[in-house]
Amino acid sequence: MQIIYNVFNTIMAAGAVVMLPIIITIIGLIFGVKLSKAFRSGLIIGIGFAGINLVINLMKSNLGPAAQAMVKNFGIKLDILDVGWGAIAAVTWSSPIIAILIFCILATNIIMLVLKATDTLDVDIWNYHHMAIVGIMVYFVTKSIPLGIAATVVMAIITFKLSDWTAPLVEEYFGIPGVSLPTMSALSSIIIAAPLNWLLDRIPGINKIDFEMKDAKKYLGFFGEPMIMGLILGCGIGVLAKYPVSQILALGVNMAAVMILIPKMTSLFMEGLMPISEAAKKFTKEKFKGRKFLIGLDAAVVVGNPDVITTSLIVIPLTILLAAVLPGNRVLPFADLAVVTFRVALVVALTRGNLFKNIIMGLICTGAILLAGTATAPILTELATSVGLNLSTDGSLISSFAATSLTVSFLVYKAFVSNLFISMPILVVVIGGTWIFMSKVTQKRNEILAKKAVNSELIQ
Amino acid sequence: MKRILVACGNGIATSTVVAIKIREKCEDNGVSVSVTQCKLLEVESKVDDYDLLVTTGKYAGGTVKIPVVGAISLLTGYGEEETLEEILNYVK
Repeated sequence: MQIIYNVFNTIMAAGAVVMLPIIITIIGLIFGVKLSKAFRSGLIIGIGFAGINLVINLMKSNLGPAAQAMVKNFGIKLDILDVGWGAIAAVTWSSPIIAILIFCILATNIIMLVLKATDTLDVDIWNYHHMAIVGIMVYFVTKSIPLGIAATVVMAIITFKLSDWTAPLVEEYFGIPGVSLPTMSALSSIIIAAPLNWLLDRIPGINKIDFEMKDAKKYLGFFGEPMIMGLILGCGIGVLAKYPVSQILALGVNMAAVMILIPKMTSLFMEGLMPISEAAKKFTKEKFKGRKFLIGLDAAVVVGNPDVITTSLIVIPLTILLAAVLPGNRVLPFADLAVVTFRVALVVALTRGNLFKNIIMGLICTGAILLAGTATAPILTELATSVGLNLSTDGSLISSFAATSLTVSFLVYKAFVSNLFISMPILVVVIGGTWIFMSKVTQKRNEILAKKAVNSELIQ
Repeated sequence: MKRILVACGNGIATSTVVAIKIREKCEDNGVSVSVTQCKLLEVESKVDDYDLLVTTGKYAGGTVKIPVVGAISLLTGYGEEETLEEILNYVK
C-alpha cells in the first residue's frame, strides 16, 4: 500500500506533463485503443501541455507588466489576463479526476439516449472539457469528489438538452441537418439570447431595425487574423503602458507570436485525443445501430457562416471597449478574442442574421462572460497553478472566455459552491421548468411542420 | 506535391481531425501532399497559395478560385470514404 501511495505521490509531484501521458494512456486503453497508440496519444498531449506552459509564460512575462503599467497610468484596471480557452482546457485535462469525469459524461449521454431523454450522440471527447472544468472547479473548492461529479453531470445534461433544442437552428439557418452542437462555448450564449430575442421582438420600433454592413470585412478584417490582431493589441497596450517605442514594438510582435502559438500547442491536444474520440465513436455507433441520432459536433462547423463572421468582426472591437468601461470587469480580453465567433454563432442563427440584434445580444453575452470571468479568476488561477502552470510569479490573475466564464457554466458552478439546500432546489426547478416548456415548444413545432407537410401534399 | 488548406472555426479542433485523416488517406495511396490548417476567417488571405480548400461545415463567404470540398462527413462518420476519395482525386 505504501508503495502505491509513494508512486502516486511521485507522479503528482511531477505535475501535469507526467500526469497527462499516464491518464490519457489509461483512458485510451479503457476505450480499446492499442497500448502503443494510447501511449503516443498521451505523450503528444503531455508535449502540448509543456508547449502551452511556454507560451503562457511568454505572454505573462510580456503582457503582465504592461497591464500593470496601464492600471497605474490611466486607471484602466484590466489586470486579469485572458490566456485563452486552450490553456484552460490544458488545465482541465491535467486534473487528477479528469478520467472519472470523462466516463461520467459518456455514461450520462448513453443513459439519456437509452431513456430517449436526448437525441444527441456526443462522442466529441475533446469538448468534454467544457463540462469537466465545472466539476473540477467544484472539486477544487469543496474537496468533494461526489459534488464534482454531480456538477459535471448537471453540465452534461444541460449541454445535451441545449444541443437538442438548438439543432433545428443548425439545420434551418446553417443548413447542416442531422447534427447538433454540444459545445458549451457556443450553447451558453443562447440562455441570454433566447429571452432577450423574445423581448426585443416585442418592443415597437426596435423590432423593425435591421441594417447591413457589406464592408465589415474590408475594414475590420484584421480582427479576424489573429497575428495582426495580436500585433495591434500588443502595440496598443504598450502605448497605454507608456513604454518606449522599441518596447512597444517588441510587445506587439510577442503578442502576435502568442496568438499564433497558443492554437498550435492546443492542436497537439486535439491530435492526441483523436484516436480515443474515434474509438468512442465506433463503440457507441455499434451499440445504437439503427437509431437515428443528432451527431454531436464541434461548433467549429458553423462559425464559417458569413453573418457569424461579420457579427464577430464588429463585436470583437466593441468587446475590447466594453472591457474598459464595464463596471466591475477586470479581464483584459486577449487570446479568446480569436474565438468570439463561437460565442455569437447561435445568436446569429436565432435572429436569422439580424445584424442589429446580433450586435446588441452579442455584446451582452461577451459582457456576461467578462463579469463571470472576473468573479472566478482567483479560483481558476489557483487551480491552474496547482497543476503546474507557472503563474504565481507576481500574483496576477488569469481567466478566459471559456470554463466558468461562460454563463451556463458559471451558474452551475455557483449553484454547487453555494448553500446546497437553497441552490439545489432552484437549479432543479429552473432546469425542469425549461425542459417542460421546451418540450411543449418542440411538440407545437412538430405539429405545425406536420400540418405544412399535409397541406403541401394536398396542393400537389 | 499538391498543397491542401484545411479550414475550420478555430483552426484547431475539427481541422486537426480532418487534416490527419487526409494525410493518412494520401499516405495509404502513395500520394504526397502538404496539409496546412487555418481558421475560416483567414481563408481569404491564405488560399491563393494552395491547390485545394477543404472546410468542415459550410463555407459560403468570399471568392475562392480553387476547388472547395466540404468535409463534414469526416466528422460525423457517414459518407467518410466518398469524401476522402473526392479529395484524393483532386490531389492525384
